[in-house]
Amino acid sequence: MVELRNVDMQFEEKKVLDGFSLKVEPQERLVIMGQSGSGKSTVLRLILGILRPAAGSIFFKRFEITRLQRRKLQRIRQHMGMVYQYSALLSSRNVRDNVALPLEELTDKSRSEIDKIVDEKLDLVGMKDTKDLLPEELSGGMRKRIALARALVLEPELILLDEPSAGLDPVIASVIDELIISLSEKSKVTSITVTHEMDTAFRIGTRMAMLYQGKIIEEAEPEKFKQSKNPVVAQFLSGSTEGPILEGSLDAITKK
Amino acid sequence: MANAHPSLAVAQEIGQVGRNFLREVGGVFWFIVNTFEETLERIRRGRVPFRAASFFRHTERAGVDSVPLVGLVSFFLGLTMALLTGYQLQRFGTERLIPGLVAIAFTRELGPLITGIMLAARIGAAFTAELGTMQVSEEVEAIESMGIGPLRFLVAPRMLALFLLMPCLSTVSNIAAIFASSLICKAYFSIAFPYFLDLVKDSLLIRDIIPGILKSFLFGLLISAIACYRGLTVKGGAAGVGTSTTSSVVTAVTTVIGFDTLYNIVYTVFFPT
Repeated sequence: MVELRNVDMQFEEKKVLDGFSLKVEPQERLVIMGQSGSGKSTVLRLILGILRPAAGSIFFKRFEITRLQRRKLQRIRQHMGMVYQYSALLSSRNVRDNVALPLEELTDKSRSEIDKIVDEKLDLVGMKDTKDLLPEELSGGMRKRIALARALVLEPELILLDEPSAGLDPVIASVIDELIISLSEKSKVTSITVTHEMDTAFRIGTRMAMLYQGKIIEEAEPEKFKQSKNPVVAQFLSGSTEGPILEGSLDAITKK
Repeated sequence: MANAHPSLAVAQEIGQVGRNFLREVGGVFWFIVNTFEETLERIRRGRVPFRAASFFRHTERAGVDSVPLVGLVSFFLGLTMALLTGYQLQRFGTERLIPGLVAIAFTRELGPLITGIMLAARIGAAFTAELGTMQVSEEVEAIESMGIGPLRFLVAPRMLALFLLMPCLSTVSNIAAIFASSLICKAYFSIAFPYFLDLVKDSLLIRDIIPGILKSFLFGLLISAIACYRGLTVKGGAAGVGTSTTSSVVTAVTTVIGFDTLYNIVYTVFFPT
């Protein structure tokens, strides 16, 4: 479904991805874990074609994202849905208009058809009663759910989730996680989630990947991932202050 | 580099400023081209490029809501201009030139220029702040990630609204100024309204009106393009929005005045009066 081959990405002096490779199979729920600022969200933006890598190739199905022109890329993006860390709902539009936006702009459906789909998606995320509210009137968890409904409205084959439960209380975070699992099981959607929240990662993921220093250093199913011998993964999972993660950071700071 | 000759450092600084300027000019130019391209591409596919409601919302904001400001400022300027020129002309017994002078000055030059400056400040700032906030809150990226062209969706309705509304607002400015000067003419120089109108009609030619109208279209396009470009290239959160908004107003006002001069030079060369 998605493949990244030897991708390099850098922002000015900082190299974020360095020979990054990853393959995502259809219908799996891949979770990419890593420290803050390790380039997890960058991976999602590269898959969407919003960022262009310095080197390497990115494929979505048979299309090479990195070589597509703007017009074609826009069409490909309609097969993907993205849920942003801070939801990124259009603040001037109410919930109904936010969810309906892709349908209104990209399809020929009538208003009644659009309303029916919007109702259906809002029902799916348990937010049917919020149709007339503005994003500022919603809580963080509610916004996340609306963002998820918006991402699903075009029936995408791939959903990209950027920190879906960050900043939410444990109960709402679990609700969101359950929602992602049930959607993926019902709609057979492939998903890539980036997070550093352990609970979410292990609840959602059918496969885990650890991003460290621009590369995937470990890839495994959740149970095997937990038992990884890799010292970086072990330290990350345990949350210990002893280990290569902080040493690497301290080395980098000392070198500067 | 620390020991570089001072003249070399100055030359480098000038070069850097020149390079940044050309980059910005190029950026705005390609921004306009890409907006047109994205919009036309949508039309070619037989779909409306943006919703009529969005367009009318911007025309209302940029146009209708700007009428009081444009009208009032132009009215005061018309009053002042008629009063000050009137006293000078009265000394030579030529105060009947006031109506023509104000009418020609406003329709050809001051109307579009003042309207351009006011809209750059009022609407340009609003467009930049609005799009800048959308940019930093990832709303623009979200639109892009859905496969919706942000230029045709966000920029095109704003650009078209200001492009079409600028000539209308320039006309409002002209009418307000001429009306104000008619009041001064009546009050201080004993020129009655019918005679005032005859004098305006006698002195005002189509070739005075056309350049002002054409200029207004150009200003509308430039102000909206600069404002939207600055909004969509905001970096650095809330502080970045503030900086870009200030920069947008300064750039748009300077560009309007610069293009006005350029336009007058070109127009005078091709259509000498």
